[in-house]
Amino acid sequence: MVELIDLVKRFGELTAVNGVQLAVRRGEFFALLGPNAAGKTTTIKLIAGLMKPTSGTVCVAGFDVQKQPLEARQRLAYVPDFPFLYEKLTPWEFLRFTGQLFQMAESRIQAAARELAARFNLEPYLSKPIEGLSHGTRQRVAIVSALLHDPEVFVIDEPMVGLDPQHARVVKDVLKERSLLGMTVFVSTHQLSVAEEMADRIGIMHQGRLIALGTRDDLRRQSGAAGALEKVFLALTAQDPEGAVEKAPRA
Amino acid sequence: MQASYCPLLLLLRINTLQAWRRLKSIREQSSFLWSVIAVFILGYLALSFLLFHRGLKFMGRFPGLGGLLTERLLFLLFAFLFALLLLSNLVIGYTNLFRNRETSYLLALPVSTQTIFRWKFIESTLLASWAFVFLIAPLLAAYGLTRGVPWHFYLLTLFLIGLFIVLPSVAGSWLAVSLGRYLDRRAFQLVALTLAFGGLAGAAWWFQPEPITDPMLETRVLTVLDRLLLKTRFAQFPFLPSYWLSAGVLNWSEGALASASFFVLVLLSYVLFFGFLSFTRTGGIFYEACSAVQSRGGILERWHWLRARRHNRRNFDFSPGWLESALRALSWVKSDTRALVAKDIRLFWRDTTQWGQTFVLFGLLGAYIINLRHFSHQLTNPFWVNLVAYLNLGACSLNLATLTTRFVYPQFSLEGKRLWVVGLAPLGLGRMVKAKFALASSASLCITLGLVLLSCHMLKMPGSRTLYFAAAVTVMTFALNGLAVGLGVLYPNFKEDNPSKIVSGFGGTFCLVLSFLYIAVSVVLLALGSPWSRGRSAVLGSPETAWLIFLALSLALGWLPLKVGLRRLARFEL
Repeated sequence: MVELIDLVKRFGELTAVNGVQLAVRRGEFFALLGPNAAGKTTTIKLIAGLMKPTSGTVCVAGFDVQKQPLEARQRLAYVPDFPFLYEKLTPWEFLRFTGQLFQMAESRIQAAARELAARFNLEPYLSKPIEGLSHGTRQRVAIVSALLHDPEVFVIDEPMVGLDPQHARVVKDVLKERSLLGMTVFVSTHQLSVAEEMADRIGIMHQGRLIALGTRDDLRRQSGAAGALEKVFLALTAQDPEGAVEKAPRA
Repeated sequence: MQASYCPLLLLLRINTLQAWRRLKSIREQSSFLWSVIAVFILGYLALSFLLFHRGLKFMGRFPGLGGLLTERLLFLLFAFLFALLLLSNLVIGYTNLFRNRETSYLLALPVSTQTIFRWKFIESTLLASWAFVFLIAPLLAAYGLTRGVPWHFYLLTLFLIGLFIVLPSVAGSWLAVSLGRYLDRRAFQLVALTLAFGGLAGAAWWFQPEPITDPMLETRVLTVLDRLLLKTRFAQFPFLPSYWLSAGVLNWSEGALASASFFVLVLLSYVLFFGFLSFTRTGGIFYEACSAVQSRGGILERWHWLRARRHNRRNFDFSPGWLESALRALSWVKSDTRALVAKDIRLFWRDTTQWGQTFVLFGLLGAYIINLRHFSHQLTNPFWVNLVAYLNLGACSLNLATLTTRFVYPQFSLEGKRLWVVGLAPLGLGRMVKAKFALASSASLCITLGLVLLSCHMLKMPGSRTLYFAAAVTVMTFALNGLAVGLGVLYPNFKEDNPSKIVSGFGGTFCLVLSFLYIAVSVVLLALGSPWSRGRSAVLGSPETAWLIFLALSLALGWLPLKVGLRRLARFEL
């Protein structure tokens, strides 16, 4: 569903993503972890097609993001860490607009919005201007708008930013349910608990390289550290990425 | 089930709705705010129409020359507006295409890059051009009235302007895309710099003042006029779009409909050709440029010697920088206040939009004052010398008022947002506000005092009068800064990060209106209170009375808001 083939992205002299090779299957919940400036957000931006890779290929639902961008984006949903929303619109107007951009029929937009708004407790806010909403409510609006067209691939950068525990639970549940129904979820996060609880597989990036990849047990084996994911993460990211990459299996 | 929506129409609809609600929200914010905006808009339209109408009538009175002068004025006006529109479209287009969150949002949606470019092109054109239409509307109305044109002249003019604004917009957006795509290339940088400096040098050479003597003005007026008009002939270059617009407007007003139609069709064909190219062929290049803007490390990355220099720099040095060392000279200022001052100077310097606007505003005023030396023959009458000196004082203060409102007024609100750093420090909010007032006043005084002294020097004024104007501008500088800082504390806005949005609220508008009124009243008072115009000062009894009123007004508008603001800080809650 999401395939990164020898992906490289350079910003001048800095190599933000360095030869990443990864395949995330249909219906898989994948979490990308890594310290600050590891290259996670750049990888996500490359998947969303916001920038061109220096070399390598990104495929979403079988479509090359650079060569067949519209086909790929039709199947993709992307929620950045600080999503853009039209401030003077109401959440309902924004949802309808997003649905229309995805060429959804009005009846389908209404049905999907009704279901998701109820699930994310957005009903009291649907007719209020977005500019007056709290950070968490705006995040929920962004997530609902991304889920509206029933994407095949859902890419989200820091999904829990600004969400209270109740709504964080809702997001986790909805994403897990959707992944069980076949939606591929690609999450970048610093919250190890999210990855530990939700992810089928976890990738750890460090200095632009994917230094570890696999299930929690795979990662424990690779790091040699037993116990919680935090210990595994700290053990892996403390290593030199050049050395650690040898341990990472090719996906 | 799939529906079929046109993404461009959806974007137009949603953004029109946003713009309409934004407009409506101004009315909901404060009735004072929208009343001031309405008064300023209507006032500008009425006043400029009146001035243009009188000016055109005055020019029309020159026997044999009136028509020629009016015609040349129109050609010049549209040529310069074309250049300004091009620049405005380039700046707005670049920001809108590459530094805009909506663009990033749309790039991840199933909307083609061509559609995104189309929408951003339309948006940039509207943003860059609405002021142009607003500015020239009174002139064209005055021109039509002076010439007694039929009603359809106005419709055609509107249509022609609608066409005209597309061409600088196309050129501006292409330049913006090229800038985005190739700005880090060394060859592009060298060519752009060479063209910019070449253009500036060419303009400086072409527009250098003509040495004209009094006998020439008295005996050979036509020769002098001919030499002056020769300098403006470039505006009638037939391949300039502004030429087609001017020629179309002029011909239509004279009833030469066939000639006018020719120029309308020329303009239309160019707009259709370049508009079509822009609407159908720029999406791909735009995406390349977008990716290039986000991908580059820096625009000077390809200069190897610069990179090598950066590499060769020694490790990070924790010792104080040159700014801290320089500020240490102010030994009577406490170290925490010095740290705050250093921080404010750095933030100002690193925000290019801030010093960029300051530089342009005061740079233009400085260039004008320096050029006063060319009028030494004309400025021999003491009346004109005095008038120009007072106008310069007014212009300098008005410039300062726009800057204090734009940059000094939002300072407290911005600091409030960063309350965890400065507000909670032992420095205290009171001292912070005082430090900001002292820094803003002393920095702006260097500029205003310098400009007023330069103006007096260029006007060859004696020392006593120079001292008079220097004292006046010093008092006004402190008063305007005090007003901006004080009102900034009294009307804070902690929700916004963007200073321009903070300024556009009630407090910012109030600050600007009060500043303008204060300047107008002060300049009149100072003119009346001038010791060199005994006759007029009689209105107020004596020059001392005028000065006393001026000082009282400055205290009331400068010191009082600051004092009240500082008192308010004592019980301040965020």
